Amino acid sequence: MSVVFESRFSFTSERRKGERRRQSRASASTAIVPREERQTVGAAAVENPRIRCMDVNVYYGSKQAIKNVSLDIGSHEIVAMIGPSGCGKSTFLRCLNRMNDTIDNCRVTGDIFLDGQNINEQSIDVVPLRAKVGMVFQKPNPFPKSIYENIAFGPRIHGLAQDKTDLDEIVATSLQSAGLWNEVKDQLDQPGTSLSGGQQQRLCIARAIAVNPEVILMDEPCSALDPIATAVIENLMIELCAEYSIVIVTHSMQQAARVSHRTAYFHLGDLIEVGATEHVFMRPMHQLTEDYITGRFG
Amino acid sequence: MVTRLEGHAFRRFDGALVYLHTEVLAMAGLVLEQIQLALESFRTQDQEILDSVCRKEYQVDGLEKKIDSAITQILAREGPVAFDLRAVMAFSKAVTDLERLGDEAVRIAQLSAKICSGESGFSNTHMLRDIGIMGDHACSLLTEAIEILETLDLDRARELLVRSDLGKEFCTSFRILTSYVLEDTRNMRYIVNVVMVLKSLERIGDHARNLAEYVVYIVSGHDIRHRENDEK
Amino acid sequence: MNKPSGGKRVTADRVNAGLARRRAAEKRFRSVGLLSLLVGLAFLCILFFSIVSKGYTAFQQTFIQLDIHFDEQFFGTETEHALEALLSADYGGLIRKSLRAQFPDISNRQQLRQLYDLVSSGAVYQLRDRILADPGLANQRLKIWVPASDDADMLIKGHIKREVPETARRLSDAQIAWLDALEAEGRVSLKFNTAFFTNGDSREPELAGIRGALMGSILTLSVTLVLSFPIGVATAVYLEEFAVKNKWSDLIEVNINNLAAVPSIVFGLLGLAVFINIMNFPRSVPLVGGLVLTLMTLPTIIIASRAALRSVPPSIREAALGVGASKMQTVFFHVLPLALPGMLTGTIIGMAQALGETAPLLMIGMVAFIVDIPTGIFEPATVLPVQIFLWADSPERAFIERTSAAIMVLLGFLIAMNALAVMLRKKLERRW
Repeated sequence: MSVVFESRFSFTSERRKGERRRQSRASASTAIVPREERQTVGAAAVENPRIRCMDVNVYYGSKQAIKNVSLDIGSHEIVAMIGPSGCGKSTFLRCLNRMNDTIDNCRVTGDIFLDGQNINEQSIDVVPLRAKVGMVFQKPNPFPKSIYENIAFGPRIHGLAQDKTDLDEIVATSLQSAGLWNEVKDQLDQPGTSLSGGQQQRLCIARAIAVNPEVILMDEPCSALDPIATAVIENLMIELCAEYSIVIVTHSMQQAARVSHRTAYFHLGDLIEVGATEHVFMRPMHQLTEDYITGRFG
Repeated sequence: MVTRLEGHAFRRFDGALVYLHTEVLAMAGLVLEQIQLALESFRTQDQEILDSVCRKEYQVDGLEKKIDSAITQILAREGPVAFDLRAVMAFSKAVTDLERLGDEAVRIAQLSAKICSGESGFSNTHMLRDIGIMGDHACSLLTEAIEILETLDLDRARELLVRSDLGKEFCTSFRILTSYVLEDTRNMRYIVNVVMVLKSLERIGDHARNLAEYVVYIVSGHDIRHRENDEK
Repeated sequence: MNKPSGGKRVTADRVNAGLARRRAAEKRFRSVGLLSLLVGLAFLCILFFSIVSKGYTAFQQTFIQLDIHFDEQFFGTETEHALEALLSADYGGLIRKSLRAQFPDISNRQQLRQLYDLVSSGAVYQLRDRILADPGLANQRLKIWVPASDDADMLIKGHIKREVPETARRLSDAQIAWLDALEAEGRVSLKFNTAFFTNGDSREPELAGIRGALMGSILTLSVTLVLSFPIGVATAVYLEEFAVKNKWSDLIEVNINNLAAVPSIVFGLLGLAVFINIMNFPRSVPLVGGLVLTLMTLPTIIIASRAALRSVPPSIREAALGVGASKMQTVFFHVLPLALPGMLTGTIIGMAQALGETAPLLMIGMVAFIVDIPTGIFEPATVLPVQIFLWADSPERAFIERTSAAIMVLLGFLIAMNALAVMLRKKLERRW
């Protein structure tokens, strides 16, 4: 009940957020937070966030998949979301570009601000939103078309290119940014599906950045890749975060530890802990986080 | 609060950590025995003790190597984080401390042999009284630190750190012994040996404190070493 | 965990003991499968053998060579009405004259009629067409091959047995003797039966062809294809990609699935009631046939198309939506091209089904005896399976082989359509 109330009067929710932040700072100096506590521990808010989520709830039918999650995504940072399967991290990720709209009985409440605009309002057109918030999926999913067409599709439907040379340039720069240009520049007419898994995933990243987004969401982008391809993608992510904000969902804690600036731990729909990655992995503040990252879960 | 090392979803990791812990405790036990033996020699005047202390030193060195390789293996294979990582790091440091403790025990035993053989001058059991008192204190401190290391008890560790400091006792004893030297400078050689034993005992106290600090680090994640420097 | 020390051995022994039984069971299962495959193949072979063995002779036709003198007096003198004269000339007389010349000793009227019966009644049109094509032939003597009557044809092909008593067969001893005489002169010969492929239906078996039925089938199927493919695909796309899933869409889905199982004759009745009685379309025309078959084929196409759409991995849709494509752009640029091979296959299979359909067409009057070859969808026509049905019903012996031949043609078309489906699938199918 209070969810609707809060989202309508964001002033109230801001104040309560402040309280929570003070609480979490207080808890940092004391002992580890016990398992039963479900309030978010750590600094969920940052200065000048790219995306600010406030009290987001997601329901699949009557089942609540995300419970009152507030989390900011800063500019030029990589935020990793970890947690056991079914904890809602992917669901939360898909709220950020409204991909949950494609699921029939899914309902999202709360406020998600991107550049001061609440993107969770029904009146928001998802097409420009998804151009601003790109997405890379778990399984590399290039279109069964040529490499060129894969990249050109987005700019073309959004009308980003004036003419053919413009489009060629967008394709080239996107592939260069994704570190794929040197490998495919002579075979742009080859089908995207003929590439290796890691190359396909980089093609998908190139496709996402071809529409010049502000935020890139990655849903377990390396889970289908071998360690070398994973390392290439991770390097790429670190390079890309100079220009974009990146949110990555991953099951590999090592990956989260390696690439991210901040780590958020989800547990059964609750955002349990969020903080600087080195702190989360050296000295987690919540017992659940500790249990999960040291492998004592369940 | 008592923390357990076990409980991983991956059970081999449990085994590896518990093994590491047990080996560290075994090493600590050996070192404690060494120190107790060395201190015993002041009372019994037994010349053989130096040998058995040195023999134990070999065992301690062997254990150190064994534990170090176990730590490397855990780091390589399990990729510990958070609590586990802190535990492994702290155990690794504890091993260094324990090895130093062993060295101190050997030094005490050597000094005891010198003092008791009378080669450094006449024997005055009165002067050895402080060694007895401080030695008992150091031993009980170390025993407690080892117990804390065994149970990973954060509260006891903090409590121990508050009360234990052999520095003051050393200073007091040092002042008394200095007066002996001023009394008769021929005591000099003898007194220096006794002071060195006392210094060793002080260091044993410091190492015991270190062990307690490691436990605090393992359990709470706070690095409380060198607090006094931070405060300055 | 704590098994006795011999645990592994015991397990191994038991596994080995059961191994023979398991292998035997496996072998049995495989041989049962193989057997059923063989039975199926055998039935198929019997079917094909029976059809081909009965039907292959229909592709040949007995011709009799006659000496024809295009006598000028038949056509009258050179006048400006030459064409009319040519059209109305008595070609039957020419043939009769030629036959009489061949067998001068027959004078009995009854015997003469029997002699004339050896030549097909269609021979006169052949002569007429010949002279019309080349009027210069007038007043010339020509040796011309004219089709024999169906009875003579049957005798030459061996379907009428000489051993049968004269009263029990359709040819008299005299007719057989004349045929033998003609054959001895080399005037009887089996030639390729072009008439079978160029003529429409006829009461005379030797003149009956499948051209009319084939054209009717093609026209009907064209109507069906033009209507059912776009409607079916559009329906499938809407239901699968755009419609909100609720109990109404479930109801529609159940009904579509049920519709696919409705007996085809019901569609025929529906067509009769709606298209002919209410909408007053003419009977027997490919338009109505096509409409009825569209109704019948739609569920098949919709179901196949939906399956094809569903088999497109959701990751492709997500990828397109993820770069900001609208729902329609996603469907048209990415989903539809991937689903198209499956849709086409479904459509072709539906078309093949429609091609073989008889019952609904009987209801809307496409069972009529139609000699003319239809050229448009508003002309009365019949279709191949109905033609087969009609011929199978006819009493003449010669229609048996024509029935089988028509079945062979129909099967040929079905195989060709299925092959096309396979080819399209191979060609268009893309991996993802």
